[in-house]
Amino acid sequence: MVSTPRTIRLHGEGNELVIEWADGHHSAFSYQYLRDRCPCATCLDTEAAAPWEPGPLPMFGSGPLKPEKAELVGRYALQIYWSDGHSTGIYTFDYLRDLCPCDGCEAARDKVQ
Amino acid sequence: MSKRVSPQQVLEALKGVEDAAQQKDIVSLGYVKDVEVASDRTVIVIEMKAAAPPKANSQLAAAIRKAVEAIGAPKVEVEIATPSAAPPKTQSNLIPRVKATVAVASGKGGVGKSTVAANLAVALYRQGAKVGLMDTDVYGPSVPSLMGGKQEPHVVEGKLEPPVEWGIKIISMGYFLPQDEAVIWRGPMLHKTIQQFLGDVNWGDLDYLVMDLPPGTGDIQLSLSQTIPLTGAVIVSTPQDLALDVAWKAIAMFRKLNIPILGIVENMSYYVCPHCGVREEIFGHGGAREAADRLGIPFLGEIPLDPKIRIQSDAGRPIALDLNSPLAEAYQAVAKALSDQVSRAGEEVPQIITE
Repeated sequence: MVSTPRTIRLHGEGNELVIEWADGHHSAFSYQYLRDRCPCATCLDTEAAAPWEPGPLPMFGSGPLKPEKAELVGRYALQIYWSDGHSTGIYTFDYLRDLCPCDGCEAARDKVQ
Repeated sequence: MSKRVSPQQVLEALKGVEDAAQQKDIVSLGYVKDVEVASDRTVIVIEMKAAAPPKANSQLAAAIRKAVEAIGAPKVEVEIATPSAAPPKTQSNLIPRVKATVAVASGKGGVGKSTVAANLAVALYRQGAKVGLMDTDVYGPSVPSLMGGKQEPHVVEGKLEPPVEWGIKIISMGYFLPQDEAVIWRGPMLHKTIQQFLGDVNWGDLDYLVMDLPPGTGDIQLSLSQTIPLTGAVIVSTPQDLALDVAWKAIAMFRKLNIPILGIVENMSYYVCPHCGVREEIFGHGGAREAADRLGIPFLGEIPLDPKIRIQSDAGRPIALDLNSPLAEAYQAVAKALSDQVSRAGEEVPQIITE
């Protein structure tokens, strides 16, 4: 069965999106971490063509990226509207759960690889 | 020509009818909601306090009819409404006052989805629920013919007012197209239509919004599943392996989209020969029940293959309206099983909190 969140919290201060899952697990995602893993077709293609590398002069950036808002997609996913206007990524709950950056989940992923 | 009977006389006659479960007459129990006596017919509306099995209801209806006909009232019609289990609340901004949304789906076409959807809507209504019926089959809308009526939607204060047939609010692409026109659209247009059917129609307060889906796992299914958090899906299948194999695809889709499967209905389950009474299992029998068991999905019931269903459907009067018909009882049983599942499918929709 699909993983289901109980609450999804956009934590402005902490620059984090925090999910409390129905099974009690907690995931805290930094905004940049989520944006770097946007599952939309454009981002996946761009990523495949030329992996992003930090440039020397980030002077044209408009401050750190953050979600303006997030909406549920039916019962199975989350759509994030980023402050730069990007919003085509639909993050399924399963995908988010697989991305969980907590130490326990990291370790479990390392084991599989 | 019999002498005109007054509503008071009817009420007096009803005092002689007992509710078997309560052992008290139905007037002092407060069941009688409305009595109407016209020159050619008498309508008695009964509202039960608790849900009763369809059999008990039809026995009560028969007893009422007998008592009221005895005093010479013309053509007695009895309507019995029973409260159904309260469904959980759907959280959607588009339809904030709709408590439960139920998609009626199948893998394969031609298994009787629309007929099942229309009759389920009627059966839920007869159990006392407020029901809407949304025909999402944009290409082949059949709900307007199934439900009969000549009304059309009209716009009131920027919202579409849906026609009401047999007590049920209905919207369908069929209302917007001449008979000989076809909808020839790609996905984005379908998506927009689904959103409009949800958000631009004045559904009002509903206990159930039943949605008749087209066959398959395509644009419309996906749009619907993304636009609102559906309470659940009912899968309709005929008993043969071919249909069940494809039904599995629909189930897989809903599982992927995290939409609870409320159960499977086996349609065209068997045929009773009107001449000799022999039960013929044309497509095999029990396949859906076995599949449900195997997949761990509730089995909601079986509906026989009966020409009466086809005749009533073509005439725009769903069979579930008929009191005392075993076919209507079959639909009542499925509706009861469905409302039980809906009240249990109360898995909360995740909450988004912005700080």
